[in-house]
Amino acid sequence: MRVIIKMPSSQEIERLYDAHAAALFAFLFNLTRAEADSRDLLQEIFVKLAREPQLLAGVREERAFLIRLAHNTTIDLIRRRCTRERTKENFASEVLSLFASTSDPDEKVFREELSAALGELPEEQRAVVHLKLWGGLTFEEIAVALDITPNTASSRYRYGLDKLRGRLRPRYEEMKKAE
Amino acid sequence: MMNDETEKFEQRLTRQPLRPIPREWRAEVLAAALSAARPAPRASLLETLNQQLATLFWPHPKAWACLASVWVFILTVNLSMHDSSPRRAEKSEPPSPEMMVELRKQQLLLAELISPRESHDADRPRNFTPRPRGERVEILTT
Repeated sequence: MRVIIKMPSSQEIERLYDAHAAALFAFLFNLTRAEADSRDLLQEIFVKLAREPQLLAGVREERAFLIRLAHNTTIDLIRRRCTRERTKENFASEVLSLFASTSDPDEKVFREELSAALGELPEEQRAVVHLKLWGGLTFEEIAVALDITPNTASSRYRYGLDKLRGRLRPRYEEMKKAE
Repeated sequence: MMNDETEKFEQRLTRQPLRPIPREWRAEVLAAALSAARPAPRASLLETLNQQLATLFWPHPKAWACLASVWVFILTVNLSMHDSSPRRAEKSEPPSPEMMVELRKQQLLLAELISPRESHDADRPRNFTPRPRGERVEILTT
């Protein structure tokens, strides 16, 4: 029997891009810390979606599904290119613009330090912290997206947040006093 | 107290706006995705043949071309020789009557030489009549 797979319409791909690309980019960029890699991965995800439209059939939570796809694609990239060591070195040495630029000097320094502190977190903690704080996902949704249990997601988040607080405490205290 | 502090810290982090996705990526990513979704056009028979030949002959195309031209030359020469031989036979003059008589004589002589001789002793089968052993011994001694 011949299986006919319906090709996705351009409108459908555009809708997916407009709805999820920004969030996927932020997640990918936080994991890879390289704009070129983030772009390649984002393109790879949308090419995959265009080629295999059946992937989204029956998916209730598009965002969680796409985050999972993005996470898996990133892991594949890291394995393929053996960039784990390279990216870790980058995280320690470089302050990448993970956040939007600002004219406020205090905010600017805080964002730079936050960006660097996030880069020092282990990959699994960073993914959970990102999805909880900036992805707006619950632990249950994070668990589904990253294929872990909700308890694991919760504990990874706690550990990650504690590390960030320890790392940013002096700057955070300063800013609180100033406020 | 600690939970309150944690919540404030979380809120502080959440308020940090993330870097926006570059606008120009939209067109690039969508173009790549949509071109990947389209089925690739099937190559024609000639294109496929051309590709196969190119793959086969690619390492030394000049050598293969020389070999092919040599074969074409040999084939041409062979065909031209094959065509001319019957024409030559047709063009040659018929033999004279004297030559025909001489040829006839030679044929007869050849036929005589080849034909088997009936009087040849060696070709005849011998009649063997068995005799008693004693008689044979006598023959040998005499």
